[in-house]
Amino acid sequence: MRFILEDIINGILMGSIYGLAALGLTVIFGVLKVINFAHGSLLMVGMYVAYWAVILTGLHPYLALVIVVPVMFLFGYFLQDIVIKPIFKAEKAVREPITVIIVTTGVWYILDNLSLLVFGPQYRNLQDNPLRGKMLEVGGMLLSVPRLWGFFAALLTALAIYLFFQKTRTGRAIRATSIDREAASLQGINQYKVYNLAVGIGTAAAGIAGVSLVPFYNIFPSVGVLFDIKCFIIVVLGGLGSIAGALLGGMIIGVIEYVGTQFMAATWTEAIVYGLFLVFLFLKPSGLFGVKYEW
Amino acid sequence: MRILELKGVSKSFGGLKAVEDFNLSIEEGEILGLIGPNGAGKSTIFNCIAGVYPPTAGEIYFKGENITRQRPWDLCREGLARTFQIVKPFSSRTALYNVTVGAFATTGKRAEAERRALKVLRRLHMQDVKDVRAGNLTIAYLKRLEIARALATQPKILLLDEVMAGLRPTEVDEMVKIIKELRESGVTIFVIEHIMRAIMALSDRIAVLHFGKKITEGTPKEVASDERVIKAYLGEEYGTA
Amino acid sequence: MGRNTIRIGPLVLAGVIALGLPLAVRSVTYLHILVLLYLYAYLTTSWNLVGGFAGVLPLGHSAFVGIGAYTSTVLSLQYGISPWIGMMIGGILAAIVGVIIGLPTFKMRGAYFALATIAFAEGIRVMVENIDNLGPIILNGPRGLQIPPLNTGLLNFMFATKEPYYYIILFMLAGVLLLTYAISRSKLGHYLVAGGEEPEAAMALGVNVARAKLIAMAMSSFLTAFAGTFWAQFTLYIHPKSVMSLDISFEIAFIALIGGRGSIAGPVLGALLLRPVTDFSRIYFGGKLPGLHLIIFGVVLILVMIYQPRGLQEPLTRAYRSVTKKLFGHTEAA
Repeated sequence: MRFILEDIINGILMGSIYGLAALGLTVIFGVLKVINFAHGSLLMVGMYVAYWAVILTGLHPYLALVIVVPVMFLFGYFLQDIVIKPIFKAEKAVREPITVIIVTTGVWYILDNLSLLVFGPQYRNLQDNPLRGKMLEVGGMLLSVPRLWGFFAALLTALAIYLFFQKTRTGRAIRATSIDREAASLQGINQYKVYNLAVGIGTAAAGIAGVSLVPFYNIFPSVGVLFDIKCFIIVVLGGLGSIAGALLGGMIIGVIEYVGTQFMAATWTEAIVYGLFLVFLFLKPSGLFGVKYEW
Repeated sequence: MRILELKGVSKSFGGLKAVEDFNLSIEEGEILGLIGPNGAGKSTIFNCIAGVYPPTAGEIYFKGENITRQRPWDLCREGLARTFQIVKPFSSRTALYNVTVGAFATTGKRAEAERRALKVLRRLHMQDVKDVRAGNLTIAYLKRLEIARALATQPKILLLDEVMAGLRPTEVDEMVKIIKELRESGVTIFVIEHIMRAIMALSDRIAVLHFGKKITEGTPKEVASDERVIKAYLGEEYGTA
Repeated sequence: MGRNTIRIGPLVLAGVIALGLPLAVRSVTYLHILVLLYLYAYLTTSWNLVGGFAGVLPLGHSAFVGIGAYTSTVLSLQYGISPWIGMMIGGILAAIVGVIIGLPTFKMRGAYFALATIAFAEGIRVMVENIDNLGPIILNGPRGLQIPPLNTGLLNFMFATKEPYYYIILFMLAGVLLLTYAISRSKLGHYLVAGGEEPEAAMALGVNVARAKLIAMAMSSFLTAFAGTFWAQFTLYIHPKSVMSLDISFEIAFIALIGGRGSIAGPVLGALLLRPVTDFSRIYFGGKLPGLHLIIFGVVLILVMIYQPRGLQEPLTRAYRSVTKKLFGHTEAA
């Protein structure tokens, strides 16, 4: 019984990191109304940036945030500005920008294979970092310390993003654009700048997720692929655009994974996750907290 | 015979009552006009009839049969066709292709469908633009294309949703002529229109909708001089043809 | 030079060249590359029935390749059934699965539809990877199935040289292109285009859009499964990552998109342009610059989507038309 609880809690902790990874995706969707297939690759980039930041500067992994967050923010900002914006401008009349899906998949291919070319296929990890393998004993249960940190990082990041959107002028401008971009632009809000900011924020969130993962997760060029699809599932489960939904969705996936592997092979839990995803797509496509989008 | 009958039709969207207890019957061969201020619920009624969504209450009969919950494609097969207020052409294809899609409603052979499409285009004086990409047509032609497509399905009744909007006066007159010719060929017409002189010239009878409720029904003359109608349209200019 | 000659001429020329190529090309490697080229042209053309004509973006067609490959292989290895018959059965199975997938997903918006197809395809792959045997049927999980090259001959769909495979896939490609052409002129074709562009208007004109899409999906998955059987018989070894991976789904979709989905020539064109890039970069750079071809892929994809969203067939067709106009005074259309 104790072990199940331990699994559930560790599942929640790991799941919150998944949620953190998906946070960026849900923000990007909530504002731009597009699905960014390159999100997993952005996470991968975040992980590599964190890795190199630690290796080159000897910083504690979490202090690397100082480098990772601005770098990732700028990366996302310019990715949107240079690559995605032209599509938006060209497809103004189209209701659903499928083209963006295709283009972001192109970005995914380029990023993943560029990192394969530059960094090589080998798995890397931060062997000697102070957090590796550290466990915390709480009430007879062993909890993973880096995952615990990840949990708090996820909550803090979610809170920070939420407050940003609710309380700051820029944040409210972004929300206004996401609700009605024409009306917002009539108010003097530059919608393209808003989009750049939103993608920048989303990518920075992915960077934070990367930093949380780097102490205990292997880093390799296609690591993003595993997270990419997981993030989509989480975002659909939680509701596109919902911050709380992303965290909750992530935790659900985390729990399924941790508890599930006690009873069946890891790949069957994968199948369950896909199954759950499909069930939600059919029955409740707006997810747990999302806004209902008309079909 | 009564080709279309609406009995107690109501439609609500969430808490909003768009149409309330609407009753109407249309005789075969008639041209019936539906007018009312913006937002009165006219298109909603069309959508209910055409199967886009079912009414919240009430029943709709077509040729005596209850069609209340039927879907648009089945209704089209049965002889009920409609156009859209905001034109929806298949922009990447030619006018002929567009109309051919409609013609396939009653045949499976391409040659026959194309032949019928050409005939319809000629009837609407569009034979010169048959190979023009729909996306490049003027609004006047696009409105006519809407009618042509619907006509190619060989309907018994045609629901026209503001086909005159955006047309110049000469184009409006041309359209009135075309619609009258359609009726001569045996198609019943149910038309929503804002351009008063057109609908007064066209309709045998007119029903007036205001805030989702029918406030009166009668000949153009009767409706034009009805106090309630004048009140509802206060400020709007119109004249009988 | 008549209109029909301009239209048919280049096709006849291409056909003659294709038929004669194996006589000129002696290298086994190049023949292999050509076979793969035709295979992908076949796959993208089959995909085009749904992804092009129906106007949706299915990203899970690898599932049908896998169903075709596994069905015919299992049937021939365990029950001695000829791969040709297995191919047909695989096709039918794939069509059924395609309809099952399509029923709930076609109602979804573009992006959700794409995600759902990915989830289905990956779900199926994960399951096959985990199942060693399904009752009496041996699937061998991640290790896959190997076909011993024992009895060669047309009936066994097994040959010692590459040439027969070349002609079979060429024949299949020609067949699927003809089918696409016939459909584009048919009622179904018109209905698919209408439903893809303006579903509301199409429905008002008598088009049961959902049903048309399902028919297209059934056809597409049926034909795609054939490619799976061909692949199994050609490479003699199949495993989930080789016949059912997401990469295959993506490659098919993107080749079609770059070439121009919705057109007949587009997918073939895309394959003609991109497959050599993949194969040659793997041959020449494989060791030193891995993944280069995918980078090129991604860049081309992005550029095409920004500047020529209807695919490269559009500017190429325009160029072809202006050339024939200059040479013969008119094009094949007018």
